[in-house]
Amino acid sequence: MDLVANSMYYLGAGALILIGLYMVITKNNLIKIILGLSLVDTGTHVLLIAIGYVKGRTAPILTEELLESVGEAIPKVVDPIPQALVLTAIVIGVGVLALGLSLAIKVYEHNGTLDVRKIRGLKW
Amino acid sequence: MVNPSLLIAIPLAGAFLIPLFALASRRLSRYLPPLVLLADLTISLSLVPRVLEDPIIVILGGFKPPFCINLMVDMLGLSFAIIISLVSFLISIYAIGYIKTEPIEKYHALFLLLVAGAIGIVLTGDIFNLFVFFEILCISSYALTAYEKDKAGTEAAMKYLIQGAVGSAFILVAVAFIYGLFGTLNMAEIASNIDSAEPTHLFMILALFVVGFGIEAAIFPLNAWLPDAHSSAPSSISAILSGIAIKTGVYCLARISYTLMNAQELLILISLIGVVTLLVGEIAAYGQKEDIKRMLAYSSIGQVGLIVFALGVTTYLGIFGALFQVANHALAKSLLFLGTGYMIYNVGSNRLEAMEGLGRKMPFTAIAFTIAVFSLVGLPPFAGFVSKLSIIYAAVQTGQAVFIVFVALVLLATVIEAGYFFRIVQSLYFRKGVSLEYAKEAPMTALIPIAILALLIIAIGVYPQLITGALEGAARSLLERGAYISSVLGPM
Amino acid sequence: MRKAVGLILVLVVGISFWVVLKNVPFGHDKIGVGNHYIENAIQETGATNIVTSVVVSYRGLDTLGEVTVLFIAALGIGMVLFSVKKTSAKERQTSSMVVQTGTRILFPFIILFGIYIFVHGHLTPGGGFQGGAVIASGFLLTYLVWPELETKRERFGAAESLGGLVFVTIAILGLVFTGYFLGNFLPTGTQNHLFSAGIIPVIYIAIGIKVGSELAGIVADMIHKE
Repeated sequence: MDLVANSMYYLGAGALILIGLYMVITKNNLIKIILGLSLVDTGTHVLLIAIGYVKGRTAPILTEELLESVGEAIPKVVDPIPQALVLTAIVIGVGVLALGLSLAIKVYEHNGTLDVRKIRGLKW
Repeated sequence: MVNPSLLIAIPLAGAFLIPLFALASRRLSRYLPPLVLLADLTISLSLVPRVLEDPIIVILGGFKPPFCINLMVDMLGLSFAIIISLVSFLISIYAIGYIKTEPIEKYHALFLLLVAGAIGIVLTGDIFNLFVFFEILCISSYALTAYEKDKAGTEAAMKYLIQGAVGSAFILVAVAFIYGLFGTLNMAEIASNIDSAEPTHLFMILALFVVGFGIEAAIFPLNAWLPDAHSSAPSSISAILSGIAIKTGVYCLARISYTLMNAQELLILISLIGVVTLLVGEIAAYGQKEDIKRMLAYSSIGQVGLIVFALGVTTYLGIFGALFQVANHALAKSLLFLGTGYMIYNVGSNRLEAMEGLGRKMPFTAIAFTIAVFSLVGLPPFAGFVSKLSIIYAAVQTGQAVFIVFVALVLLATVIEAGYFFRIVQSLYFRKGVSLEYAKEAPMTALIPIAILALLIIAIGVYPQLITGALEGAARSLLERGAYISSVLGPM
Repeated sequence: MRKAVGLILVLVVGISFWVVLKNVPFGHDKIGVGNHYIENAIQETGATNIVTSVVVSYRGLDTLGEVTVLFIAALGIGMVLFSVKKTSAKERQTSSMVVQTGTRILFPFIILFGIYIFVHGHLTPGGGFQGGAVIASGFLLTYLVWPELETKRERFGAAESLGGLVFVTIAILGLVFTGYFLGNFLPTGTQNHLFSAGIIPVIYIAIGIKVGSELAGIVADMIHKE
């Protein structure tokens, strides 16, 4: 039970990444492939935050009570670095997703379909 | 001494300025990228004497490393920065006249951002920062590949985006694992603590990085996007992608395997991947009888394989050869794509047969094209001769049987390469063209960069001493991890 | 066939993840560099939101890169969906009066809320990106209700470029005044006050305006496309 409680977040993040990867590889609809990319991104963000979590501590925003505890041997807040990393990674993911969707709009305009098996203009 | 952070800040500021310029006059925004990139080139060249003695550590924000992001300008990063700014400066001059599809100000802004991302990659000393700048490079290249907005371009960009995004996700997962295992993101600090982690974990993380960066560097079997992307993009973009973008992938691989992880025993696997990529690329290029840009794209895959192979030879001469080949390929392949741009424009198609006899109508372009071809194949007195000779000599010097086999394969690939390249040259000069009355020489904005690139190839080939000092310093800085760590963190 | 390849790949990747993650114990204290930030953020930067001080001060170059990525995405989308002739808005079902009136009332509050989030980024959870996203959602609401509303696209473009330029200028001014790129040259002030934390609120305001106009511009491009 303890093992499950401890690894739940890693398992969840990993599952998101793997499901997203599977979607990118096997799905035929362009929008589903882009959705798979979004899932992979989300899973990676959850993974990063889970790596930075410390049990029993709170968010790294220094309210009045926490301000007094600054400088004590054991801090009372979670690691702030993964949160900063995820902030950046979310924005980057949004950028890629938006660009991908606009490209999908154009591909649909040219080909009339979103099925990747039929969009094979560029052969070997 | 100029602060090297300006090398990144100036292209960024230029890119933010271009839409504002375009509000006033769209045509004027074409001239900003060459100015910006010339400034970058001068700054990076001026830093060479200082960096040859000691790497420059630029601390950002006034906090000490490893509690901040630092730029680590050693000779390896600076050599790459010089190559990037030089080649992109010349391509931006070419683009003044070549890019005609609207909206041109967005092209130039995206181009500056691509270069800013590339320079940021080679100068940074923090692994998450590496990821961010890598994303800047990748996303601008996805957008620029689709610039022509035609059927082939958008499809190629879509494929590139999907594969590139998967690669970036792998890199981010690898960064997450590194942070979980080491608690820090500063490359020097990770490098100094690398022995505290188990080899299996490091192997997994290295594998994730190789896959992630390998998609951008287009090593086999992750190169499915490259032929489509480089052949459907406008020629100036194909030039920057083939010349610069894939090299940054190779730089990241080198930085991570040598400086970060000290994975010297695994580098023979990297050599193997390199040789396989080389053979696949060259054979595929030989089989391309129709589309010239596709042929050049497959050739790029092959050349990257050669560079990666040379990286796996962990001697000074091997890495020197790899870096020389980076310089040679950046100059030569950009030249080939730039020349092809106007050749295609003249005959209206990118089929090889349509270009027969073009050599007489476009004399300067064709001569430059031939120079680049000879350099890539490795004939003296061009730059490619020095690089190929160094690589082969370094591989033979190791004495290991595996490397002798690899060298034989490299020579085989060179013969194949000569086969298809000479086919083009023959078709340019020795065949009678069908209908070429309207073909004329490329305009001045194209001829100047083409001429400069050709002259550089000859100059480096005849006087390699021009750059051997810098490249030897670069090879040293890659192999000497201890120096890297102590420069950033202070003496251990 | 592709499904088999996909399953095998997913399995291989999953196993490699598990092998590494076994050694990253969940919930244990493995903060490395983070401890320095927790202890010193309030003195060195003056912001009580430690994540903000990490994002803008300690790792400011990452934020510059992030802002650039959004800029590239906006430029790329504007370029890909560019068409010389303006497509006219198709006949849409006009929204009901409830939605129209509700939007008229809500829109200013949404903008206000977005501005609140990014102005207080150094004190409370939030910051430039979050606030900008809220502002853009306000604009999205107006586009959904009145699709023929043509907020001048160039104004969004100008705001976005200006926001980015302000960020790079502040970074270069840091170089001029303190000798460090992105150095803090404004007074840190008293903690928990609005005017504290040096350059952090200024940067966040620039980022908030930039991201808001950028995302609104992306939405406008996509809606006016068809």
